[in-house]
Order: sequence, then C-alpha cells, then structure tokens
Amino acid sequence: MMWVGWALAALGFALLVGQYAAGHADIFVSIANPRPLDEESMVVTLKGWGFAAQAAQPFVTPESDHGLCDVRVFATRRQMLVAIATFGFLRPVTVTWRAHAGVLPLGDA
Amino acid sequence: MPIVRLGNEGRWTNYHGTGTCEAATRFALRSGDAPRGRDEIAIAAGSVQDWLVEAAAAKRRVRPLGAGWSPSNINIASQCWLLHTRRFNRCFLIDAADVRPGVNADGLMLVEAGALVDEVSDKFEAQGRSLWTSGAGNGQTFAGACATGTHGSMIASGGIQDHIRAVQIVTPAGIHWIEPATGVMTDAFVAATGSTVLRDDALFAAAQLPMGSLGIITALVVDSVPKFLVRPIQNLRKVDRAALGWLAAGDFRRFSANYALDQDPDFVQMIVNPYKPFKRPAMLRFLYREPWRDDYPRATPGQLGAGYDALSLLGRLLDDYPWARGALLQFAMKQGYASGPDVDAPPVYGSWGEGLDTHRPLADLFNASVTIDRADLAHAFELICAVYARHGGSTVVTVRFMARAEGLLAPARFPHNAVIDFDGPRSARTADAYARVVERLDAEGIAFTRHWAKSCRLDAARVAADYGEDFRRWRAARDRLLPDPEHRALFGSAVLDGLGLTC
Repeated sequence: MMWVGWALAALGFALLVGQYAAGHADIFVSIANPRPLDEESMVVTLKGWGFAAQAAQPFVTPESDHGLCDVRVFATRRQMLVAIATFGFLRPVTVTWRAHAGVLPLGDA
Repeated sequence: MPIVRLGNEGRWTNYHGTGTCEAATRFALRSGDAPRGRDEIAIAAGSVQDWLVEAAAAKRRVRPLGAGWSPSNINIASQCWLLHTRRFNRCFLIDAADVRPGVNADGLMLVEAGALVDEVSDKFEAQGRSLWTSGAGNGQTFAGACATGTHGSMIASGGIQDHIRAVQIVTPAGIHWIEPATGVMTDAFVAATGSTVLRDDALFAAAQLPMGSLGIITALVVDSVPKFLVRPIQNLRKVDRAALGWLAAGDFRRFSANYALDQDPDFVQMIVNPYKPFKRPAMLRFLYREPWRDDYPRATPGQLGAGYDALSLLGRLLDDYPWARGALLQFAMKQGYASGPDVDAPPVYGSWGEGLDTHRPLADLFNASVTIDRADLAHAFELICAVYARHGGSTVVTVRFMARAEGLLAPARFPHNAVIDFDGPRSARTADAYARVVERLDAEGIAFTRHWAKSCRLDAARVAADYGEDFRRWRAARDRLLPDPEHRALFGSAVLDGLGLTC
C-alpha cells in the first residue's frame, strides 16, 4: 500500500505546482483604441478564502476622470507562495491599470 | 494653471521598463477648454515657462514625458521634475486666414504636445486626411516620436518628423515659435499663441528632432496628405541572396513581383531569422497604396498585419537554450506575427491609421538598430546576421527602407536608407551581440547611424563623428535657443549629457 501513499503525495505535489504556475497567469482586459496614461498598481489580499478582501491602499488613481484603458490582474511568485503556504487563506493579487487620457473633440486653432 | 502636481516624490519607470527615474517629482500638463487652440497653447506655454523657472530655482532638472516610450532612456533622469504631457492632447483645425500667403492650410493641424500618433492619425482621417508615414506602433506622443526620429518603412518617405511645419518650444527665457525661413503661420496667429516667432531653416531643422534637449515642446503644426488606402500582403518566404541586390539597387518592384504582387510597393519590410537568414523563411510585409474609397471591406488591425513588432515572449528560453535559438526564433516568427493576408487570400484594405497598433510590451524589451546606405545592404546584411548570430543575438533582424529624413540629427541621413533593427527580448548576450555588430561595421568601414530612441550605446564622440557638420549646426541652434548654460543644463540628464546634447 506504500506506493498508493507515494502516488497520492506525488499527485498532491503536482497539484500544488500546477496551482503555483497557473497562479502567475496574467488576466488582461483592455478597451480598443486606448489612450493610456502611466500604469498604476495596487495589491489586494483576499482573506478567508475570499470572504473578505483588503487592499494595501485605496483604489485611487489621480487622473481617472476619463475612465480606464486596461486592467491587469496577476500574482507574483511571492504572492503565490503566500497563498499556498496559508492553504489559500491569504490570496494576494496585484491589480494594475492605466487611466484613459480622454478623447477631446477637434477644435479650431 | 494647467500644470498639476501628481503625488509625492517617487520612482517612475518608462513604458518598456528599460529605465527608472529615482526620486522624481511628477507634474502633469493638462488641456484646458479655451475656445481657440491659439489661446489654449498660449495659456499652457505660459504655465510651462513659469514651471521651468520654478524648477531652475529649486535646482532641479526637468524632463518632458510623453508616452515614456523610448527604450534608450533619453527620458530618464533622477532627482528631477517630470512633466507628463499625455493629457495635453487637443487638436485643432487651422483656417486659411491663419497661414501666410502661398501656404495651403487644408492639410495642417495644430496639435498639442501630448497627443498620441494614434490620436493625430484619427483626427486627420476624420477630416479625409492622413499621415504619410509613422513607426510600427502608434502609442507614442506625436511630439515624442518626432523628437527621436521615429520612422516606418515607406520607401519614398522619411521620418515622422517630416510632417512638422512649425514648433512651439518653451524655455525659461521665452516661448518660441519656430518655422522654416519661408514661414507658415501669420504673425497675428503666432502672437496669439504667446510666442516669439523665429523663422530660420537651421533652427527649424534642429527643432524637428530635438531629443528633449531644446526646451519643452508644447505644440506642433502637423501636415498631412489626402487619405489613402493600403493593401497589405504578409507572408513567410525563403528569400534568395540575390534579392538583397535588388533591394540595394532600389528595384522594389522586382522584389515584390517575386514574393508578393507584381506592382510597385510603397512599403517593404523583411524580418529574418539571423540564424540561416536565407535558408529559413523570412516574414515579408508589403503595402500597396491605392486611392481612397469609402466602400472598402473593413478589416481589424490584426487582419491588416498590425503589431508586427510584438515579438517579445521568448527571452528566457532563448537565453537558456542557445543551441535551439534558430529554431525557437523561427517558431516565434510564425506565432508572433499575423499570418497573411498572402497573395492568394481575399484582399483586405485599411487606412494608414488602421494598420497601426498600440502594442503592450509583454516582456523586457531589447531594441537597437543601424541605419546604413541602402547601397551597402547586399554586402552588409549577411555580415551583420553572421556576427549577430555567432555572438548569441536572440532577436529577429528586421530590414526596413526609407528616404532621407528631415532634421539635422535624423539617423536616416543617406539618400536612400536601409534600417536594420534588432528588436526582441532583452538579454545581456543580445546586447553584446549588437555591440559586436557595431564593431564589425566599423572594422569594415561601412558607414551607419543609430536610432536615438533605441538602446544603441552612443556617446558624444560618436555622435559628433556620425553627424559631423550637422551636429555642429544643431549645437549652434541649441545655443541660440538656450544661450544661458544653466538653462541648457536644466534640460540635461546623464544620458543626454553623455550624448553631448546638453553640455
């Protein structure tokens, strides 16, 4: 029966490695024809398997009055290790975004 | 006051992640709502001048920042004041009454310095006009792209700065409106912009390609041509060695007839794998210009072959597995570029602007280039590929073609130019391979220049040698605009000082 235990351990390890690798995936949402300003970023930590979320800083971008061009969500290697080490209780992710510069109508010189 | 401060002092990293400004204080220049463009830029230029005086008093250097696109770090300086211009992006039509006699106002537009190439292109196309050339990407600000001599591969065109007809530049001592000696805008218009007019060919040629060293550019008058369609053909073909001779001789029709359509192409680009460039298929792109018609079948940027500089995914693999570089690059060429439309596919069409893309860097970028006399292409190209591959260069090699560009410091300074780009994932080995290419070209006595916005390792001595009398004229123009050495230093940085542009 020992081999069954080793097989389950290997399966568990493979699952963890797979989760670690997939956790780095970059989810990227963009509008067509962007007019982007500089990239801003924040870290959001999901706590208690998603029951609560806490950001290290509020979602404030100084020039977002024309909306956002794109948003990326991803986890760094360190963030994935934290998630695995805490059995998913803490799940930090990085959110980055670029605000839109605005499209102003053509005027007269 | 259209300038606002953005947050506290901190780090700022450029678009391609090649450089970081430490302890930078960020400001943003914003468009207002003045009814006329001339009033708007007069207000903005006045604010910029006040801001420059404040920066000088605070003993801080300044950097104008558009899209932060240049990987060469000419926009990087630490402990400085950064002026973001992206939200200073209005465009204005110019009336015939505002130009001097003999100047056609139909194609002219007043553009604020933060407008992207894409925005300028869109505004022109809405008026039935078009840019006649630009780079592969359109996410740079128009002023920033001009400041570094960005170019594409339109065979009969120069750089994007060739579109400029007048420039407004602000220094601590004044607001200058620079035009060629023949003049463009009326004195009344220039006065309304709050500027002092300088009609001088040498000053204008310096200001077309200023590298951010001559002051803060706040506005440009940009020219255009009637809107046109382009039909792209894009395919993978093994290119015969002899074809390089056709390209070197300017026989683009023959090249096109062999690899695409039997027509005169307006745009030719060849992306090759430097590992066996004639044995592995090259990615060829042709554009054929046609008169505008409204009823063309619309295509997406991807179908038009946009995004052809997006090969930046395989850096680590290429670095870690040198024995597989050739095959990996070939795989990346197949995956990373739009496949088609080839000759046999149903034709697709688009305007010039529809065929451009605002690419998003997915990995650390290395890019560098050499611009050679097109006549040298046949014997220089294989040499370049061999040296680059032997020393582990891990990017594709792109050949593009262009006419002599305007501006005293335009790298495309030969009558006919072949621009050879090394664009792809960044690694120390690739940078070293590029350096070896430069060494080899020098050893062979092949004249070349390098792109200001790319990672080309230039220094002041080399700039002076490459540009000769034109560099002396550029510096003389700079000293006329900025006679006070302290004001020249205000626009300096370690990179610009090292190039001999600000000291």
